[in-house]
Amino acid sequence: MLMDIFANLAFGLSIAVTPTSLLFLMIGAFVGMIVGLFPGFGPAAGIAVLIPMTLGLEPTVAIIMLAGIYYGSMYGGTITSILINTPGESATVASTLDGYPLAQKGRAGPALVMQAIASFIGGTIGVVLITALAPLLAEFAASFGPSEYFLIITLGLLLLTTMMGDNKFKGLISALIGFAIGTVGVDVMSGQQRYTFGSPELIGGVYFVAVAIGLFGIGELLHCIYNGLHLRPAKKLRLSFKSKEFWPTRFDYIESRFTFFRGSIIGFVAGVLPGSGATLGSIIGYSVEKKLARDPENFGKGEMRGLVAPETANNAASAGAMVPLLSLGIPGSGATAVLLGAFMMWGLQPGPLLIVNDPGFVWGLVASMYLGNVILVALSIFAIPLFVKFLDIPYRLVVPVIVLLCVIGAFAIHASIIETWILFLAGVLGFAMKLYGYSPAATVLALVLGGMAEETFLQSLIISNGTLYVFIERPVSLTLLCILIAVAVVPMCLALRRRLRRTQAQE
Amino acid sequence: MKHVFGAAAVALALSAAPIALASESYPSEPLNYVIAFGPGGGNDLMSRTLVGILNQYDLYDGDISVENRDGGSGAVGFSYVKRQSGSPYFATSTSGNFLATPLVSNTDWTYADFTPVALLASDAMFLVVSSDSGIETVDQFVTAAKAGRVVVGGTGTAGPERVVASLFADAAGISFDYVPIGSGGELVTSLTSGSVSAIVANPSEVSGQIAAGNFRALAFSDAERSTVYPEIPTFREQGYDFDFSLPRGMVLPGGVDAQIQAWWVKTLQEVIKTPEWQDYLKTNSMSGNPIWGAAFGAYLKETSAEFESVLREIGAIE
Repeated sequence: MLMDIFANLAFGLSIAVTPTSLLFLMIGAFVGMIVGLFPGFGPAAGIAVLIPMTLGLEPTVAIIMLAGIYYGSMYGGTITSILINTPGESATVASTLDGYPLAQKGRAGPALVMQAIASFIGGTIGVVLITALAPLLAEFAASFGPSEYFLIITLGLLLLTTMMGDNKFKGLISALIGFAIGTVGVDVMSGQQRYTFGSPELIGGVYFVAVAIGLFGIGELLHCIYNGLHLRPAKKLRLSFKSKEFWPTRFDYIESRFTFFRGSIIGFVAGVLPGSGATLGSIIGYSVEKKLARDPENFGKGEMRGLVAPETANNAASAGAMVPLLSLGIPGSGATAVLLGAFMMWGLQPGPLLIVNDPGFVWGLVASMYLGNVILVALSIFAIPLFVKFLDIPYRLVVPVIVLLCVIGAFAIHASIIETWILFLAGVLGFAMKLYGYSPAATVLALVLGGMAEETFLQSLIISNGTLYVFIERPVSLTLLCILIAVAVVPMCLALRRRLRRTQAQE
Repeated sequence: MKHVFGAAAVALALSAAPIALASESYPSEPLNYVIAFGPGGGNDLMSRTLVGILNQYDLYDGDISVENRDGGSGAVGFSYVKRQSGSPYFATSTSGNFLATPLVSNTDWTYADFTPVALLASDAMFLVVSSDSGIETVDQFVTAAKAGRVVVGGTGTAGPERVVASLFADAAGISFDYVPIGSGGELVTSLTSGSVSAIVANPSEVSGQIAAGNFRALAFSDAERSTVYPEIPTFREQGYDFDFSLPRGMVLPGGVDAQIQAWWVKTLQEVIKTPEWQDYLKTNSMSGNPIWGAAFGAYLKETSAEFESVLREIGAIE
């Protein structure tokens, strides 16, 4: 078994380590980082735009490059989450929770370095797990029907409570706003339109990217102006590789040493499941870390572990998503769906036989992902002083640039003006939420997960002819249900025991 | 925005006269190929393959700009092309939503607002079961459906999969529960995980699983057998009297000169002869039985009517 793995990997490396492969891997990784940097312009669009440019290349080289864009964007995507509190993707929403407070505390340098390292560790552990476990995991993914999806999404929704902030009531309202926005569009079961007011642009629903950029990006901007940040002179952050403030401290590493591994494994498992893998992975990674911490009250205020957990998780998930793509031909996200299209363009038939018919392609791609992560971590760390310079610019000059980036990002989604209006509406909402202590993260994540939860729940009920037994009859569902109940009940019992002890002690 | 449209209208008015007079000099301007869906989908793939072939073989004498204008299940992009009425320098690709979207929502266009050029490929569906289900023919499936409860999955609520499922149920005199399942990937796992008894799926979504022997295709919904899967019989051959497929074709804005339409028919007849086009059909498991010009218009009308009656029957529209 172990010998097989090494033989496969060596075979893959013999394909991936050629001058052309390496060159195009670097181009892909670099383009991926840039694509990730722009809020709203995600990897799916980046890959689609570059597909025509790869037509003259060998299939394996072309896919190595396109896959580089995919996981490279996970590195770039967090940079805006940290610096301007604007996640470009649902998978990096959780990274804003502690990433942005870290930058506000003047620790932008260490936060960026740490996110690069976390991304590297997550990505690499993810590829190691693909190499070792791909065949087993494919079976796991194939056993997921609608009822299993519903339960895993419910788990994600339940864990939202950990990132709502201190006021759970306001957090709940924030999540409900997300659910409400999620109901717009065509009802999945009847095909009836809900809250579209006859507008064709709303048939497809309110796209979460516009809402996320508005709530976080524009909302944060308005809040900063409200606080008069634009009137103050810029803080001078002189950072170079030599300065001590640039690098994370030894304490940061020691504190996060287990977080790296937990985040990676959680992210990878979530990534293997088609659907919203990276998003769920980052939520679960963050909340597990917060639950395990002795000092959960520090999370959300610039805690390094709160950044490391979602970052390792979303990168490991992007590796995990390759498992169903390569072994079952199942894309788990927009970006992997475009990759799947590229496979077919090259005449590669995705499915269980891909690894049998084209082992050179599969193992070459997997091997290139090890190299790609090394290139990306080096690239990210070298580029950080450049990104940090951004913080030196006086805020009043930064404002128009952020507005421009946000508007371009929202408009680029569907090249339609309605997303821009949604962006501004969400911006005003985001400002109000920030001012009164509500949680924009809960809103965005509820928007992403709510629709999926509704759909999979109704599918399960049709399949079961309306009974709820479907959730206990199927073994995988039953296991998930037990985990779900444990997650909900155990903290309650613990809190109860603590209270009982306290009252006993008082007596 | 108004200014842009104003300028475009003036430009159109100025250029309309020379075009009408001299279709021999067509094309003399760049072509705007509008894709009404996002990058990476089926419509996008077909459009880009088509444009790629036009460029590679110099079939269009001029630049071709390709643009994705997605939103509202095609409503936005097709509406944009419709508003270019009379211009021979706009083109777009049709797919299922070209017919379905105007039926389910208030769009300012229908298929009748466009100049039909060609049906280039038909995208029909397979009825697929898991290989370990023991079911090998449609008749066995029908027997199973009569004996007990079966659940059939397909992507979308009111999409082509639903139409095929409904037409089949009517033709076989059976009833089953239909589950709309989000994407192609989840559709595959709904069958591998044993959640549903069968799925109606696009061949490209299940070809990998069929090749590996995990899934078995029972029947094909087109009028003729697929050129890629000649071994799978049609529903009609097995005694179920219906056929349904989606129009993967090319249309121009309405009101385009008949000579321009003929020019495009001739050009696309060259396109489908190329090995690149044949590869495209094969890798995407599409059947290549083309229909040209006015006949394509008649086909659109008939398919739209079929769609409408099924949508009415399932209550998606009133």
